Amino acid sequence: MTATARARRIIWIRRGVQTLVLLLFLVLLAANRPANGAAPGAPVSTFFDLDPLLMITSWLSSNTLAGISLLGAVTIVVTLILGRVFCGWFCPFGTLHNAVGSLRRQFGRVRPRTSGFSVWQRAKYLVVIALLVMAVFGVQWAGVLDPFALLYRSLALTVLPALDVTVSAVSNAVYLGDPHLGGLHLRDVTEPFYRWWQERVTATEIRVFTGTDVVFLVFVAALVLNLVRNRFWCRYVCPLGGLLGLVSRRPLLRLTSDPSACNQCQKCTMACPAAAQPEKPDEWLATECFGCWNCVAACDRQGLDFRWVEPWRRTSSGSVDVGKRRALASVAAGVGAVAMARITPASQAATYEPSLIRPPGARAEPDFLARCVKCGMCMQTCPSGGLQPTWTEAGLEGLWSPVLVPAIGWCEFECHACGQVCPTGAIEPLPLDEKKQVKIGLAVIDTTRCLPYAYGRECIVCEEHCPVPDKAITFVLEEAVQRDGSTRTLKFPRVDPDRCTGCGICETKCPFRDRAAIRVTSAGEARHPDNQPLLTPTGGGYGDPYGD
Amino acid sequence: MSCPSRRDFIRTSALIGGGLLLTDAAALRRSALADPMAAQLAIARWEESALATADLEVAATRLTEAAIDGLGGMTRFVSKGDVVWIKPNIGWNRRPELAANTNPNVVSTLTRLCLDAGAKEVKVGDHPCHPARQCYRNSGIEGRVEAVGGRMVYLDSKRFRDMKIGGEFLESWPLYVEIVEADLVINVPVLKHHGLTRLSMAMKNYMGVIGGNRGSWHQNMEACLPDITGFMKPRLTVIDAVRVLLRHGPQGGDPDDVEVRGIVAAGTDVVALDALGAELMGRDPRSIRTVAAAEARGLGTMDFRSLDPVERVLS
Repeated sequence: MTATARARRIIWIRRGVQTLVLLLFLVLLAANRPANGAAPGAPVSTFFDLDPLLMITSWLSSNTLAGISLLGAVTIVVTLILGRVFCGWFCPFGTLHNAVGSLRRQFGRVRPRTSGFSVWQRAKYLVVIALLVMAVFGVQWAGVLDPFALLYRSLALTVLPALDVTVSAVSNAVYLGDPHLGGLHLRDVTEPFYRWWQERVTATEIRVFTGTDVVFLVFVAALVLNLVRNRFWCRYVCPLGGLLGLVSRRPLLRLTSDPSACNQCQKCTMACPAAAQPEKPDEWLATECFGCWNCVAACDRQGLDFRWVEPWRRTSSGSVDVGKRRALASVAAGVGAVAMARITPASQAATYEPSLIRPPGARAEPDFLARCVKCGMCMQTCPSGGLQPTWTEAGLEGLWSPVLVPAIGWCEFECHACGQVCPTGAIEPLPLDEKKQVKIGLAVIDTTRCLPYAYGRECIVCEEHCPVPDKAITFVLEEAVQRDGSTRTLKFPRVDPDRCTGCGICETKCPFRDRAAIRVTSAGEARHPDNQPLLTPTGGGYGDPYGD
Repeated sequence: MSCPSRRDFIRTSALIGGGLLLTDAAALRRSALADPMAAQLAIARWEESALATADLEVAATRLTEAAIDGLGGMTRFVSKGDVVWIKPNIGWNRRPELAANTNPNVVSTLTRLCLDAGAKEVKVGDHPCHPARQCYRNSGIEGRVEAVGGRMVYLDSKRFRDMKIGGEFLESWPLYVEIVEADLVINVPVLKHHGLTRLSMAMKNYMGVIGGNRGSWHQNMEACLPDITGFMKPRLTVIDAVRVLLRHGPQGGDPDDVEVRGIVAAGTDVVALDALGAELMGRDPRSIRTVAAAEARGLGTMDFRSLDPVERVLS
């Protein structure tokens, strides 16, 4: 078999692998739907476990390997042997880029000029250097650009809700309108599908997320850029690609060429999604190559092939020169970013954001931010839909990290799923009984709105929903004077700060729907010894329950 | 408000049960024997001395069968080809032992009886306070109901429609179309404490068919509950008092707040059933404002003894 024919076969295998991995990613995404409060049965965080960028940055920023998967090392080892096949064969975000990029043929934009190497490809190495430097100083921002975190976040917070809203709207329209042809009802088709969709893909309640416009725009922009340059994201931006490029300078499997066969047709160049210079036999760029085999298949003259080469042999002089000055500038940028993150009152513990209610089991804020990779897994699994991505509440450092917004949904008493699915241990996987005890905030009654206080009307909704078995909201019976001077005995709710866990269901269910008459504030959260308004015998609030 | 102590509760329950047996039992049995299809109330009770050792799953099933049998069987209410909606209380993400939701075996037994009576389809659903799937599953109801061929339905917030209630207070309110359109709605509450109405029983259970801002109903419960009950025109109500929640209702959560009672009552008069429930909880029905208001509205009688209840004692 010729090299070309073999390459064509390998490419089909690659496409199969890419499709399967992308499907697996989507299946695991759907499997992370709200379950019965426990962790989903499937290994939903597997992709994140395999991600060496998140592994290394989490380790650097949290200063410990505890709770961090070491499977990322497998990816490193594979890359040392085969080069960046992770990008060409495995990465589901890469596969999406691949699919969009293949549309370029329709637009007739495949030219050598846009397919050849560009010095801008070193940008991703500068990105990864900056991210690593930030991580050293405890700022975990890799998740903002990490392909798994970015893809997961985009799908879970924008694409899936958009599909859910659409499926629900169509199903409800068909159900209510009941179009039929004789005895054939369209809803006999849509209803079972809708049921399956709610059971297996999303949830029984539609869950949507705040401030996700930017998440979506970044996602769409990353995909559309494929029309400018094929695999734009993977070539220029991706920090994981950059990290893998750093370890694939001399893989064992390398592109080798027969210079005598080359007639400079540039077909290989145009077939290369990575701009790895397959057309220059001595300057092939191992750090850029995705190992996709397109170039081998494109060569009519059997001039190219991948071969095993001993690691000590130098077969190509091609390399991407990041440059010492640029690398230094990148280090400086990373340090600067850390400083920017640290000159906020919140990060100097001068202020506490009342709305920053973190999920139960979340570590103390600095430690939490050092680990959270903003992937959205906790938000995706939260059954009430209350876990939302932050925008400015946690500063730029905490962008898109999870915050409980009780106006949208509460922390379900019989559930500890967020801590179970968190891939980096930013939210600790507490046993359910322990989680039920964790204070994430404190309910505060607004007597200018609360119906018995403000209007002399009966209402017990907050008390009725309080999930603490012996009730953190109790009543004080008092007489309320009515307009005509008569009195009426009413139940006035009162919060017991010792029992309240700040779960927020009182705020979600309060009849005041615009701004509830009982609201949760972050004060009293167990993870912050200093954010304690109430006197306790230990003086330091509740201490650090996770104490390292 | 003070809760009944356990001793009070047991004493009252014993008095009611015993009273029913001793004073009316003969007459009741006669009347029921005469025409079971005319019985308006049937009370099935597990022998108190056998309660401690009873398998509650078996007990709940047999009590439900006995109560329905006391009314003349399910064919009295279900015609061949009917679509039945069973409306249990599945309001909370709580295990069956915590008595915040209707006993799963009571619900599944009713489902089976309806299907046996010729129902085309038996749908079971509620509009829970917690996420529906968690409630359906952790309450144990979904598993039992599906095992006997019933269908669990998730209520969709887009499928509520404003309907004319024509009540004394409520003019219109969003209701769940699929429930209202069913040929028969069986209301199956669990007997439990409630912070506002004091007790949550059959009429309170109708809050699961409404949409809109449900919380706002608490401002005028004694008008809203009779209004929705009048609109729903209850034909068959089954009260589950296999386990009852004495305190910290309607949600509970502490096993110590739960008392095993081993009683299932079924009837056609929702007010009588709520009055019976009140007495079982050691309260004078007249002190429960929603129940008293419903009687004043002509929705039924609080004097459930006047209905010649059929009594079944199992063990």
